[in-house]
Amino acid sequence: MVSARIAMRVVRFRAIAAALALAFVSQTAIADVVAVVSAKSPITTLSNAQLAEIFLGKVGRAPNGMRIVPIDQAEDSTDREKFYAKVAGRSPAQMKSYWAKIIFTGRGQPPQELSSVTDLTKRIAADPNTIGYIEEGQVNDSIRVVR
Amino acid sequence: MSNKRIAIVLLMVMCNPARAPANSDTGGDVAAPYSPPFVFSAFGTAGAVHSSEDRADFTGSIFKPNGAGYTHSWSTDVDTILGAQVVAHLTSKLSATFQLISLQRYDNTYTPKVEWANLKYQLTPDVSFRVGRIVLPSFLFSDSRNVGYSNPWVRLPGETYSLVPVSNNDGLDASYRLQLGDLTQTLVATYGRTADNQPQGGGSEARNQWVISDTLEYGAASVHAAYQEAHLTIDSLNTFIDTFRLFGSQGAAIANEFDQANKPLRFASLGAMYNPGEWFLAGEWGKTELHSVLGTSSSWYVSGGYRFGSLTPFVNYAVLTAESPKSNPGVNIALLPPDLVPIALGLNVGLDSILGSAPTQNTVSLGVRWDFTRDVDLKVQYDHTRVGAGSSGTLTNLQPGFRPGESFSLLSATIDFVW
Repeated sequence: MVSARIAMRVVRFRAIAAALALAFVSQTAIADVVAVVSAKSPITTLSNAQLAEIFLGKVGRAPNGMRIVPIDQAEDSTDREKFYAKVAGRSPAQMKSYWAKIIFTGRGQPPQELSSVTDLTKRIAADPNTIGYIEEGQVNDSIRVVR
Repeated sequence: MSNKRIAIVLLMVMCNPARAPANSDTGGDVAAPYSPPFVFSAFGTAGAVHSSEDRADFTGSIFKPNGAGYTHSWSTDVDTILGAQVVAHLTSKLSATFQLISLQRYDNTYTPKVEWANLKYQLTPDVSFRVGRIVLPSFLFSDSRNVGYSNPWVRLPGETYSLVPVSNNDGLDASYRLQLGDLTQTLVATYGRTADNQPQGGGSEARNQWVISDTLEYGAASVHAAYQEAHLTIDSLNTFIDTFRLFGSQGAAIANEFDQANKPLRFASLGAMYNPGEWFLAGEWGKTELHSVLGTSSSWYVSGGYRFGSLTPFVNYAVLTAESPKSNPGVNIALLPPDLVPIALGLNVGLDSILGSAPTQNTVSLGVRWDFTRDVDLKVQYDHTRVGAGSSGTLTNLQPGFRPGESFSLLSATIDFVW
């Protein structure tokens, strides 16, 4: 009797764990952050390393030679945290410390920030020289996923 | 942060209402990098250091008059600094950078001083020129020398960074960036002078100073190499060395050997860092040749750290070696009239003490950086320094009873912020 109850509990626990795991997997799948350019841009794909160089300000041009201007989301956005973890392996604090080094010798400024994803999407759609990142679920016809 | 953004937006509106954030031409070569008219930012470190050696001071810089150990059991002067900066983007190609820093100075005050004041002309995205007070790019971490938040440690390894104790240069530089596939190379040529005041009185000046520095970046790896020359004058040492000229030709020979005049200081360095995000490994080597009483010194360090979420523990090992003879016979008193002997003996002792005090030491450091909240970190570091026989290492302000060659330990805590 007791063992049956334990068995029941184990089954129930497994079911909950499976449901949680499924929820977590689908959540991360939905919440995956992708790099996007305007649908009018000739760029079709970029590697994580190329994205890191663009967003860290190390290059001002895409591999095809065109000028490219990165646009960040707000500093506290989870998209931003995920994007830099993905392309550069860096935490928000590490990104901040990277830019501090550049800012405080007057060598440059970090990318412009747009806190509204709607504004960001519109801006990127309108300007083929810009690049940003958004949640995969928010991609529409005006922009193209490059990573 | 939001106040800053508001201030920037207000300034943008007030100063340049017609300026569009960026244009949306489709031509290809039109998108401008983000450059609001004015950008204000600030950084700082509040720190406290305790030294186990109470008959001398650990200052972390030859430009500081006192520090931890003898003067203060816990010194807040070693690492504490506040910096404020404004960058003005005057046109799409011309910008101005002005930075004031406040830290303990040679005169024991915190009177702000100008760290940067320069105009930059960005000819192309890869070519720029600067004129004014600019960075002296001697080292891998020269750019972030004052910005604790940008560095993994409480302070940059003193063994190596004391080889060139200054951070800026009054003059000009030219920078050329070259992209070779995934490899970025940045070559910088710098020319000018650096002048500072010394705590022991007088000044120091590096004239005709030039540096060629090259940085290679490949993904998470970067390599920095620099070669530098300058003519260095340190007033207090010059006065002392010139006194030898009172003793005829043998005195003049000694003065010529140990005088810095007309002999260039030469410095070379090579550093590398690999920082894929989860961990880092950094190392740097440097050598200063002075051909004077200050002699030739070389140094290197290696450091590594691993990030566990917001905690990044690290370990360092740093070595500083004096490579010049540590003693000199000085003036031969047998050749002197008796009334000059006491003065000559004094000078000889002085010369030997300067030569013998050339710092030789190595330090093992253990510490941790904690990014406990946005834009602020807390660091704690323990250093154990073993000092070479007869040397006082990088300690200053030596007091009666100080015993050269004894090891000492430091315990430091700092809070760094950027704004």
